[in-house]
Amino acid sequence: MDFRPLNDTERRQLITALRGNAEHDRCILMDRRDTSFIGTVDEVTDEEVISAIKSVPCHY
Amino acid sequence: MFQALVSYASQFARDLQRSLSGRQAVGREATEHGYSAKPDYMPLERVLLTDGVGRTLFEEYAEHQVGSRGEEETGWVLLGVREEREAIVLGTLPAGTERDAGVGHVQFNSAGQIVGSRIIRQFDRRLTILGIVHTHPGSLRHPSDGDLRGDSGWVGQLRGREGIFGIGTADVKPSPGVAVAYQPKPNMQCLDKLRLSWYALREGDKNYRPLPVVLTLGPDLARPLHSVWSVIEMHADRLDRLCRQQSGITFEVVTGKQEPALAVTVPLAQAGHTLRVMLEGKEGRYYWLRDGELLLVDPKESRVDRAVYLLLAELAATTN
Repeated sequence: MDFRPLNDTERRQLITALRGNAEHDRCILMDRRDTSFIGTVDEVTDEEVISAIKSVPCHY
Repeated sequence: MFQALVSYASQFARDLQRSLSGRQAVGREATEHGYSAKPDYMPLERVLLTDGVGRTLFEEYAEHQVGSRGEEETGWVLLGVREEREAIVLGTLPAGTERDAGVGHVQFNSAGQIVGSRIIRQFDRRLTILGIVHTHPGSLRHPSDGDLRGDSGWVGQLRGREGIFGIGTADVKPSPGVAVAYQPKPNMQCLDKLRLSWYALREGDKNYRPLPVVLTLGPDLARPLHSVWSVIEMHADRLDRLCRQQSGITFEVVTGKQEPALAVTVPLAQAGHTLRVMLEGKEGRYYWLRDGELLLVDPKESRVDRAVYLLLAELAATTN
């Protein structure tokens, strides 16, 4: 098992992912082979979706 | 009806496999480099419609044509997943009965679509707005100049700063016999007398470009909602307010007394306790689910958000 410390980039991404999980229920992706952290799901916020719906222009 | 398109199943399977292996490759790459799997959006090369979405568009377009407002334009907002070079459409939000429409325009009722998007996205938070489909009364199979003016400003807020636009026309000469869908061009689908032509528009583009469309097997996640869409529209603003103020609210379409109903579940602080609102037609029924026991309660209030808060206040008053 690899216990190497995370580098700065990896540590920053993991902290962001953990914060997203704690505050917004966002998923954290795990490599099924070695359980290492491989990023987050690209979730879309309600605000982004609702803003797009509200601003759908009239169509002709 | 879709036999011809479904006959392309092997092609779809290959496409799907390629798409999935592409995703696995992204995953492997992410693993190797240790970075987020967030896609780097490139211009769309094609749009994948699930057969559920395809059926919704053709079936509801056909129903619209023979309905009392058949002369008017209509349309749908498309929900789905945007990937690097393609988009998968997984849901359709109808223009709504309260749309503003005529023979030369359609403006969707966004209030119903906002609640619809909240309901659909409770299962998959990756779902985003991909574009829209709208119909033209004549045989103009391309978005109009007026469409371009509006869409040019709108697409900037979509993923990849690009939108998908479908144009429905009823200008196909039907063949005798059973109607079977076919694609005369890569960006065109025809069924009976109806045609859908697909385009993409990216921020800064001077015009739309034809977008190849491919059918794959899958649901229209929003189709069950279409049966209760008038209920959603009737209570849209108040349901949206409830969702913004109360966390954990869930929705489902259930069998009502006379017709499909929209069930809204509001979790309570105590484990095993929930409020359940059944909205069917103009009627609202309220239940308190308490440790498996279902109690019908009458808040004597027609506005759904006020009714829920009256019940919450009543329950708070009875709590020690």
